[in-house]
Amino acid sequence: MQYPEPISKLMDSYMKLPGIGAKTAARLAFFTIDMDEEDVTDFAKSLISAKRDLHYCSICGNITESDPCDICRDKDRDRSTILVVEDVKDVMALERVREYHGLYHVLHGILSPIEGTGPEDINIPSLLKRLQSEEVQEVILATNASAEGEATATYLSRLIRPAGIKVTRLAHGLSVGSDIEYADEITLLKAVEGRREI
Amino acid sequence: MFIQQLELTHFRNYEKAEVAFSKGINVFLGENAQGKTNLMEAIYVLAMARSHRTANDKELIQWNEEFARISGRVQKKHSSFPLDITISRKGKKAKFNHLEQKKLSAYIGNLNVILFAPEDLSLVKGAPNVRRKFIDMELGQISPVYLHHLVEYQHILKQRNQYLKQLAMRKATDLTFLEVLTEQLAISGAAVLKERFSFAKQLETWAQPIHQEISKQREELMIDYACSIVLTDPEDKEAIYTDLLNVYQDNQKRELDQGTTIAGPHRDDLKFFVNEKNVQTYGSQGQQRTTALSIKLAEISLMHELTGEYPVLLLDDVLSELDDNRQTHLLTAIQNKVQTFLTTTSLDGVKKNLLDAPKVFNIDQGNIETESE
Ligand SMILES: Nc1ncnc2c1ncn2[C@@H]1O[C@H](COP(=O)(O)OP(=O)(O)O)[C@@H](O)[C@H]1O
Ligand SMILES: [Mg+2]
Ligand SMILES: [Zn+2]
Repeated sequence: MQYPEPISKLMDSYMKLPGIGAKTAARLAFFTIDMDEEDVTDFAKSLISAKRDLHYCSICGNITESDPCDICRDKDRDRSTILVVEDVKDVMALERVREYHGLYHVLHGILSPIEGTGPEDINIPSLLKRLQSEEVQEVILATNASAEGEATATYLSRLIRPAGIKVTRLAHGLSVGSDIEYADEITLLKAVEGRREI
Repeated sequence: MFIQQLELTHFRNYEKAEVAFSKGINVFLGENAQGKTNLMEAIYVLAMARSHRTANDKELIQWNEEFARISGRVQKKHSSFPLDITISRKGKKAKFNHLEQKKLSAYIGNLNVILFAPEDLSLVKGAPNVRRKFIDMELGQISPVYLHHLVEYQHILKQRNQYLKQLAMRKATDLTFLEVLTEQLAISGAAVLKERFSFAKQLETWAQPIHQEISKQREELMIDYACSIVLTDPEDKEAIYTDLLNVYQDNQKRELDQGTTIAGPHRDDLKFFVNEKNVQTYGSQGQQRTTALSIKLAEISLMHELTGEYPVLLLDDVLSELDDNRQTHLLTAIQNKVQTFLTTTSLDGVKKNLLDAPKVFNIDQGNIETESE
């Protein structure tokens, strides 16, 4: 038997979300039918407003309701450093720490030819433009420790260094509170490579 | 090290099985197609988190079942721990000491196995990729760091080849990015090469006297890591890195035409020489067998030297393939040291006097029965 059309349409929408296949989509769709009308309306409204009321900041690429974003407009932040991350979630994570007071730049991706992402496909040109016009002295590259993260960081440093700007990379290694004896060999290897003088 | 016990659930033709093994020799006795090789495979998977027979994990799940599970307990000199592999349609989970290991490089190496099957003769005769796989498997068990570099090398190679292809088709133009990928490839490539060279050297050191003895002093074996590029000093990682970069530099024009990485560890080979003649092309079948056997036996000693423990030996249908002299060598070499599993359809062709109190298991249509002595 085929699904009634409203169900198939809802399933089709759910399946556009990452990690959701036909089975899960069917479960979610039938669950939605049983929800309170009010909850469903709220759900639909949130979806639309998230899309309609949020934009990417034209300066840093962070997600925001107003352009430029709060961080870019904040006069108290240190305008001499820009911290470069892969996506918006990384900005949120770093902001929760409340230790970093400079500006951000969101790449919206990472260099990976097998995924079809080359230098032209991520938010690099606007970063280079910022480096010309602003009084930036340091760029901190905070892409992940994966092979792609490293390649992206190295590539960016090739582009930025000639401009005479200091480029640094976030340290990788042992996580806080972890015992050396329980760390796997690769983490240890990276930690040893990234050691510093004290 | 040795495997104390093994438990299988929905693995190949085993619905459910639980066995306790001997520290010494274990014989899986049974007709064809009863599940002897499947049992060997289960032990191999427990060690390597992958099969030696198939790249598709799902084949290991018993037909019409949802998952397959292999658990075992390993005893080492100073420790004992459980290992557990579960394969479902969604993927596989590997647990060491009850804890899931997300990185397989952290799992592999806890149980070391050496497998010797008739197709291992193709180690000498077969294509270069067979020998590269051999190095990668053996070295990977001993050195998690090697495994890490290898996985990284293969991954970056894929990225670089893809980018070269895009450049070749003029879908991309940025040569600075190519340069970054090239340097990344050379870093992990250098690490891979350095370890492979030293592995080949050590393997030769151990295999030489063994080969000499089996051949009754008539043959001298030499093993050569045949690198696709010329290295100034294979013991110096920095020097290898520079050599690799130079080769990529020289090849750049051709690579941009062909859209692929021409030279590097992924194109290398291992060469065996007996009395200075390449065994692969000029060796008799007997010499090829002796070479394969010497290498397998050398691996046992090499692993012992590097890890402090003897690996577990899996002999699938090979004993009957070897003549008396070679059987005697094999069985004397492992006696009282190496936990061994061997499969056979009958004990007739096997040198019984050398099988030191073996524990025999009768394998019949996915059932394991311990034979009472
Ligand atoms: N996924 C599977 N589920 C059930 N049976 C399987 C599966 N894979 C292989 N078999 C069965 O296992 C048997 C082969 O076992 P194998 O161990 O190779 O035999 P041998 O004892 O000759 O070494 C065959 O009967 C085959 O049908
Ligand atoms: Mg078999
Ligand atoms: Zn902003």
